[in-house]
Amino acid sequence: MSDSAATPAARPAPLLWAEDITSGYGGVPVVRGVSIAVGPGEIVAVIGPNGAGKSTLLKTLVGILRVSSGRVMLEGNDVTNHSPEELARRGVGYVPQVQDIFEPLTALENLEMGGYLLPQASIRGRVDAVIEVFPALAPLLKRRADKLSGGERKMLAIGRVLMLDPRVVILDEPTANLAPQLADTLLGEHVRALGARGKAVLLVEQRARAALDIAAWTSVLVSGATRLEGRPGELLERQDFEELFLGASTSLTPVSGSEVEIA
Amino acid sequence: MSLYLAAFGFGLVSTSVLAIAAVGFTMQFGISNMINLAYGEVMIAAAYASYGLNNAGINIWVSLLGGAVFGSVSSYLINRVLYAPFQKKGTALIGMVIISLAASLMIANVLLPIVGYYSVSYRQNVGPTFHAGSIALTGVQLAIMGLAIVLMLVIHSLLKLTRLGKAMRATSANPTLARNCGIPTRRVIDTAWLITGALCGVAGTVAGMNSDTFAVASGAGFLISIIAAAVLGGAGNPYGAMIGALLIGEVTEISAAAFSPEYKEVAAFAILVLVMVLRPQGLLAKRGTLAAAG
Repeated sequence: MSDSAATPAARPAPLLWAEDITSGYGGVPVVRGVSIAVGPGEIVAVIGPNGAGKSTLLKTLVGILRVSSGRVMLEGNDVTNHSPEELARRGVGYVPQVQDIFEPLTALENLEMGGYLLPQASIRGRVDAVIEVFPALAPLLKRRADKLSGGERKMLAIGRVLMLDPRVVILDEPTANLAPQLADTLLGEHVRALGARGKAVLLVEQRARAALDIAAWTSVLVSGATRLEGRPGELLERQDFEELFLGASTSLTPVSGSEVEIA
Repeated sequence: MSLYLAAFGFGLVSTSVLAIAAVGFTMQFGISNMINLAYGEVMIAAAYASYGLNNAGINIWVSLLGGAVFGSVSSYLINRVLYAPFQKKGTALIGMVIISLAASLMIANVLLPIVGYYSVSYRQNVGPTFHAGSIALTGVQLAIMGLAIVLMLVIHSLLKLTRLGKAMRATSANPTLARNCGIPTRRVIDTAWLITGALCGVAGTVAGMNSDTFAVASGAGFLISIIAAAVLGGAGNPYGAMIGALLIGEVTEISAAAFSPEYKEVAAFAILVLVMVLRPQGLLAKRGTLAAAG
């Protein structure tokens, strides 16, 4: 954003913070020595070519994959290799790229499951609060979730996470299966609104430009390592950014051991 | 015609027994991704647990409760001690099937020296015979049908109305996402094994009550019909298992009347093969359910 580039405010103190983490699926590590931080009200975008390890990084942060070295901190507490259940309880919400809802359950049941940790009595109120954020879900509550359109489905997936009113919201390519117009609305309105409401938002996006538009900080991940990070405005000004990002899948070799550039 | 009507009546009883068994079997697959081939042997072991109580002079319906508890606890333990550790290690579905086959053989061979090879029968008063046209059913058979209907309604209410049941369906649909929601999937799965194990124990006992005699060797036959019903309805789907049980239960009894009792299972499997050709995912499952789960 131009205004943030003009007056670069200090980044907020991190809520979720990963330090030098390495992880993968058991074989060769996919994510190698990545550090990333996101603070309250801040939208941090992770971009990079296919296969860069962006989704792997998110799965590691939410406890699905094991951290083999490095650590993950949440509000100053070490939560490295805590279970997904525990991280959900501590206020980390995660919307995967695919399989992001319970398909055979109704939309309402999906929200109820999102609020599984809440006392039964407060679920109704939280559902109403989520409907306020996504009014389009209101007439769909009784519908089976796999009958929803792509946009409705993603709103439900995010709404499910909002049931617990998490402090950290982690979104893996929320626009992946959406038409361009829907994608713009989702990022420009809904995701931005999450940040405005004080959530720490960590976003992986294929639509790099759209992500840079709403992000306060951006990390470029290439071949499992952070290649570049900085404020979106500053990144965009770099001569080599376009080439770095857009040409990355073909021209960049793995950068293990190389220094992370700070824009 | 009256012969077929009578067979239809018996088919309803077979359906009832099969539905109780198949719903438990298919839920184990749906919720913990386990094709439990030891299910038939646990049924038989539970039938013998009930037999032990019954033989000691306890009423068969009270003994049935004992069988349910036995099935519940033993299924829970088999999963906790044997299946869950292998699944945690990442054993593939086919490996898990082999492990359950091994469990099945172990149970049968532990059971044999204890109960012997010979067939046994419950001491029960089958009650008066009720007639409706050419359908003739005993009081016990009607009671088994009533019990099946009650149990199906209980399972339906559990899955659709309770927090636990919804968490079971969520875990079945997407276990990773369930954990991300904070659902303690391990506890949910444990509870599912207790519940499905109870169904297994009830099914074993009512199967013994419905047939004149049973023996350790009966387990394999039960299992075949159960798998047929579960797959027919769509593996992992309890409502599919109920419909599958109805089809298999009726087809076996009516074909027994039409041809010969020896062809019962042939007819059932002809239907299964036909459905698999026309609708490989089963009657109620969405396309790809089996593939996704496996």
